[in-house]
Amino acid sequence: MNPSIDDRLASIIRSLTDIILPALPREAGLAQEQTHLAIGHLKIIRAQLDLAPAYEIEELVDARALAVALISKGAGGRATTAAMSVLSAALEQDSGDEHPRQTRIRINRATDELIRQLSDDGTPEFRVFAADTIVRLQSERALKDRKWFALMGFDSDIMKNG
Amino acid sequence: MSMTPILEMEPALRDLFAVRGARRAAPSYSARKTEEISSALRRFFATRMPGATPENVSRMGGGASKEQFVFTLNERSGVANRFVLRMDPLEAITETDRNREFQVLAAVQGVVPAPKPRWMDADGEFFGRPAAIMEFVGGVTKPTGAGVKVSGLGTWLGEPLRSKLRKPFLDNLVALHALDWRSLDLPRFSAPTADPKQAARWSLNYWRQLWREDALEPLPIMTHAEQWLIDNMPDCRELVLTHGDYRTGNYLFDEAAGTIEAMLDWELARIGDFHEDLGWVLMQVFGTFDNGMFRASDLYEREEFIEAYEAVTGRKVHRKTLHYYDVFSSWKCYVIVNGTGMSVARAQHNHQDILLTFLGATGAMFLADICRLLKQGVPA
Repeated sequence: MNPSIDDRLASIIRSLTDIILPALPREAGLAQEQTHLAIGHLKIIRAQLDLAPAYEIEELVDARALAVALISKGAGGRATTAAMSVLSAALEQDSGDEHPRQTRIRINRATDELIRQLSDDGTPEFRVFAADTIVRLQSERALKDRKWFALMGFDSDIMKNG
Repeated sequence: MSMTPILEMEPALRDLFAVRGARRAAPSYSARKTEEISSALRRFFATRMPGATPENVSRMGGGASKEQFVFTLNERSGVANRFVLRMDPLEAITETDRNREFQVLAAVQGVVPAPKPRWMDADGEFFGRPAAIMEFVGGVTKPTGAGVKVSGLGTWLGEPLRSKLRKPFLDNLVALHALDWRSLDLPRFSAPTADPKQAARWSLNYWRQLWREDALEPLPIMTHAEQWLIDNMPDCRELVLTHGDYRTGNYLFDEAAGTIEAMLDWELARIGDFHEDLGWVLMQVFGTFDNGMFRASDLYEREEFIEAYEAVTGRKVHRKTLHYYDVFSSWKCYVIVNGTGMSVARAQHNHQDILLTFLGATGAMFLADICRLLKQGVPA
């Protein structure tokens, strides 16, 4: 049986906690701080590891949803129209073996460009729709991301209310 | 993101961009060793104060921005005092200028409690990177044993500290904003006086350019919020000297007496709109929630703080302008933490990369706040 990533991470955490940290001299404050952080990072990575592929796919799905929503109501002058064409092409492009992260970045880059261009010559109706849609969908995305990082311990709202 | 650089900003800040490109291509940065700093201090004081000997050099804990060391300087006269050396790593979570920080610290002496700046190595001749030395101030930035707090990223002070620190927290901000910046010796600072929107524009443009250079990937809500900030820039009715990072966590206090001993982290100070400081103070992420009640810096409820500031200063806090700086503050925080912080960590240019990537996880909280504020809309 090959050692799993989880087993390997667990043994690294144990080494840092039980062997390396106690061996650090008292005056090595930065080394102690960073060892604690390393342990914390690794524990959270260990908890996230199995869920990470699904999380990144969900990020991509959300990026696509925003792009599709914007295109569905997109209207404006030459700059907006051109940016919409680029975004449509990004959505239709065959991802092949591309990692979902790369696909998401590619789509978000085109979405970003549309957001910039629509402020120049998007129709007033499209601008209002885009503003509402971006805030609504990105708010939902931010909530998912806050939950994803809840174990970091910063966000007690999320820790308390889920 | 590669786009035409945004050039209209405070000239001294624009200068920072001229040199950071070359730094970005540099190899990894290593945390400075105590022995290296001891040696550099000896060489430094041999020229600045012959006969004085620095000793007991030790690294200060915490911080995600600058390398900091505390040491004792034994002067020839027999006097021994403690000082703090604050120096740039290769890159930090904020791109700032030690000269400006030094000047503003000198300018506020006697007005706002702040570490007294004593010496500069502006070009890093002795320390390898720009550095400033200031007098050591005792105190803590959070209560002893403050591991447990009710809520929020901010520091939980609780009682009786909260009651003791409220007034000096406000008074110091008021005193800072009351300074006549025109009469101060601030040669590295410029005032945005060309038109009423220049204060907002200079501030926004500085962070926009950082975002352009440092964003690791595009993010639609950041782009949308940036556009909103461009479209909604407020007029500045009164220019003041702002602190730029005014909040609990950025001052030293005497835990027993409940007194503020020094306001810290002046590197983001500028001449700008007082609403910019208020928006930062009132950020939810830096405050606490206690049974659903928000307290800015764990000291004041939002309206209570605004009213207190108005009452003491006689100024009118314009809600529309404040809303702008509420949005700007969260947007700027995301630039700091997830733009500059993460790109610096990826480049391995800081001594605290592991802390920077840990802090990067707070980004979603700032994005959620941007969404909340934009959804809430501009007050009437």
